[in-house]
Amino acid sequence: MATTPLVSMRGISKVYPDGVKALENVDFDLYPGEVHSLLGENGAGKTTLMRILYGEIRPSSGKIIVEDREVKWSGPWDAIRAGIAMVYQHFRLVETLTVEENLLIYLSSLGLNRAEARSRVEEAMERLGLEVPLVARVGDLPMGVRQRVEILKAISGGAKVLILDEPTSNLTPLEVEALFSVVERLKSLGVSVVYITHKLWEVTRISDRITVLRRGRVVATLKNDGVSEEELARLMVGELAEQGGRGARRKPGKAALTVRNLRVLVDGVERLKGVSLTVREGEILGVAGVAGNGQEELVAAILGLLKPVEGEVLLWGKPVRSPRDFYKLGGGIIPGDRSQILAAEMSVGENAAFIFYTGSRKIALTPGEVEALYREIKDRFHLVAPGPDAPVGRLSGGNQQKVVVGSEVLRGPKLLVAVNPTQGLDIATTRFVRGLLSDLASQGVAVLLVSADLDEVLELSDRVVVMSGGRITGELARGDATPEKVGVLMGA
Amino acid sequence: MPIEAGDLAALTVMAFTAMVPITLTAIGEIVGEKAGVVNIGLEGIMLLAAWTAVAAYFLSGGSHIAGYTAGLAIGLLLGLLHGVIVVYLKGDQIVSGVGLNLFAAGATVVGTLALWGNYANSPPVDVPQFIEIAGQRVSPLVPLTILMGVAVWLFLNKTVAGLRLRSVGDDPRSAEAMGVNVYRVQIAAAAFAGAMAGLSGAYLSIDYIGSFTKMITAGRGFIALANVAFSGWNPLLALLGGFIFGFFEALAGFAKLQLEATAESYLLQSIPYVATLIAVALVSRKGRMPRWLGRPYVKE
Ligand SMILES: Nc1ncnc2c1ncn2[C@@H]1O[C@H](COP(=O)(O)OP(=O)(O)OP(=O)(O)O)[C@@H](O)[C@H]1O
Ligand SMILES: [Mg+2]
Repeated sequence: MATTPLVSMRGISKVYPDGVKALENVDFDLYPGEVHSLLGENGAGKTTLMRILYGEIRPSSGKIIVEDREVKWSGPWDAIRAGIAMVYQHFRLVETLTVEENLLIYLSSLGLNRAEARSRVEEAMERLGLEVPLVARVGDLPMGVRQRVEILKAISGGAKVLILDEPTSNLTPLEVEALFSVVERLKSLGVSVVYITHKLWEVTRISDRITVLRRGRVVATLKNDGVSEEELARLMVGELAEQGGRGARRKPGKAALTVRNLRVLVDGVERLKGVSLTVREGEILGVAGVAGNGQEELVAAILGLLKPVEGEVLLWGKPVRSPRDFYKLGGGIIPGDRSQILAAEMSVGENAAFIFYTGSRKIALTPGEVEALYREIKDRFHLVAPGPDAPVGRLSGGNQQKVVVGSEVLRGPKLLVAVNPTQGLDIATTRFVRGLLSDLASQGVAVLLVSADLDEVLELSDRVVVMSGGRITGELARGDATPEKVGVLMGA
Repeated sequence: MPIEAGDLAALTVMAFTAMVPITLTAIGEIVGEKAGVVNIGLEGIMLLAAWTAVAAYFLSGGSHIAGYTAGLAIGLLLGLLHGVIVVYLKGDQIVSGVGLNLFAAGATVVGTLALWGNYANSPPVDVPQFIEIAGQRVSPLVPLTILMGVAVWLFLNKTVAGLRLRSVGDDPRSAEAMGVNVYRVQIAAAAFAGAMAGLSGAYLSIDYIGSFTKMITAGRGFIALANVAFSGWNPLLALLGGFIFGFFEALAGFAKLQLEATAESYLLQSIPYVATLIAVALVSRKGRMPRWLGRPYVKE
């Protein structure tokens, strides 16, 4: 490792205008060619620290030194010109334009003309060993490829520092592996990578060094040799609550959700090829599988959003033909992508009320009711937010997820469809939500858990079905469901 | 009522002269909308520009150049105003546009009264002579409109600046993150849309019709908006849409000459509008609409 850091952040503090103390006296160094992971619970300040380095927000105090010179950014473009680029979880690409056009917009902002931009891109592709379809529309590409476009964009723009904020949360396992090899390649090219994640195995797998933040302070910066995941977890939370564990289950009751021989076409392509399953009251049925094998369509069809060409969806024997039916019959949903359900500019309270009162006949809401709902979510789900009136978009990712999960669970559905319910959540909150699903099931709620996280599915489910290519390729009972067996079915 | 070959040629030329205002305005508006800014106040801008052009014409002692420049300038300013209201004040795009229309309708009547002593008309203007085809006078704005259509198409589709502008209308957040100054692009695009509407308005009064009359625009600003949708935001197709409208307008005018009865002639005058409605209904392609059209973009 080189002796002088490429980037050095010293004594960084940040108090947001609404009084939230996000960072306190944080020191952070980044050496050339190192992968430096940032770990911390939801709201620990990881994203805030990196947005400061990227020039998107200004620190309240502290200084940033890049290549031995103190810098003061007036916006991201100062940082980009100095070789610091950031890739967000939600990509900043224009979906209606092609990859090439997107790259051209970015590079022309750096003063390059068309020909220069093209040769820069080609050179960067070569150096990274990365293939991306330049003439494809971004909106047509899978998330993993879009992420590669973002990385290519940064590198062809001359980035020496690449910040990746929760880069794997929308990726399939294969795409995650592909990302790791890109990160390795970046390292070998001398690019420094800041890697923000909640997944500990990723951290131990690819980082050189790890910095752990807790409530805005650095609790440790350590080398990644022989650090265990438990140790990291303890550093993050301070003290670890005992493992959630599965509550005792009753005997499963009546069939709550029945899906019968469901066939669904999307744009003429058969996405579900005759799927049948049943979830009974008081059990958790897990749906495992690599993302993109029909899970999304299955959920949409259960909600009545997609019309099947064949087959039916029943809740307690009654057909679901529209989301209205779904809610009226006692269904509830935790969607896979919280940005689909949250209105970022509206307040936490309003968003919670939207979800909580879905399908209710209520016409008017008083501020008192919204406030009470907010309090309940805050208390029961340990929501960290400045108040019911703060825009939900200002919350950290994990806290946004708590608003979604909390409001939906409080509504009291009798059947809960949970899609990647712990995405973007820290360890403690993940445990909490998993415990919650387990409790709901013990109270007699039927839970359909659709998750790309195999560990999650195996930990929680009473039965597991595996989806592959729009079909259910097998069903395993708890105890019988091992990662190996599921893995085989995932490829079937 | 037999139509002869000579009539057909004249009709075609008349269609070209009739297409100018709605086409030029539509081309300008395509640029505005590609940057995400809708201006439904185009009708009002045209109206004000038509009045201003005649006023400038008389004040300058009969200069068409002065008339056109004044029309263009007032259009540019109003477009700029709309842009600022929409972009910086986060005003509702529709409300701002409606405001422009209402203001223009009132202001031009008052202005006509003040300058020319009646509510309805200005004195006639000597229309400029350029060339004549098939016995019809053709304004220099006819070739200019066609050139403008081609130039704007090239700008939007073949230049980096055009690409950057399109990114703003589709996804301002990503555009901003990729270094595009969203607000500046939107204001410039709105100003351009206004300027084209201004030029169209000037054409109507000091060139096409030869005087300012009350409500001289007769809905052409709205037809231009329809033409934008008809074209699927493609300036070349806007030329076609404009020509179709111009053709029906010419046809209605032509038929009116042949028919005496007034009731029918009113009916005939509605042909271009009905034809536009049908054309838009048949051809509108929603898919190409800029995704962020008409929505304010608030920086984080
Ligand atoms: N724009 C903002 N305005 C006000 N407060 C904010 C803003 N952005 C973040 N915060 C607050 O600052 C704190 C740190 O948030 P930050 O997003 O940095 O956390 P994080 O570590 O990235 O969390 P997560 O893992 O959930 O993404 C949180 O309490 C959050 O609510
Ligand atoms: Mg974050």
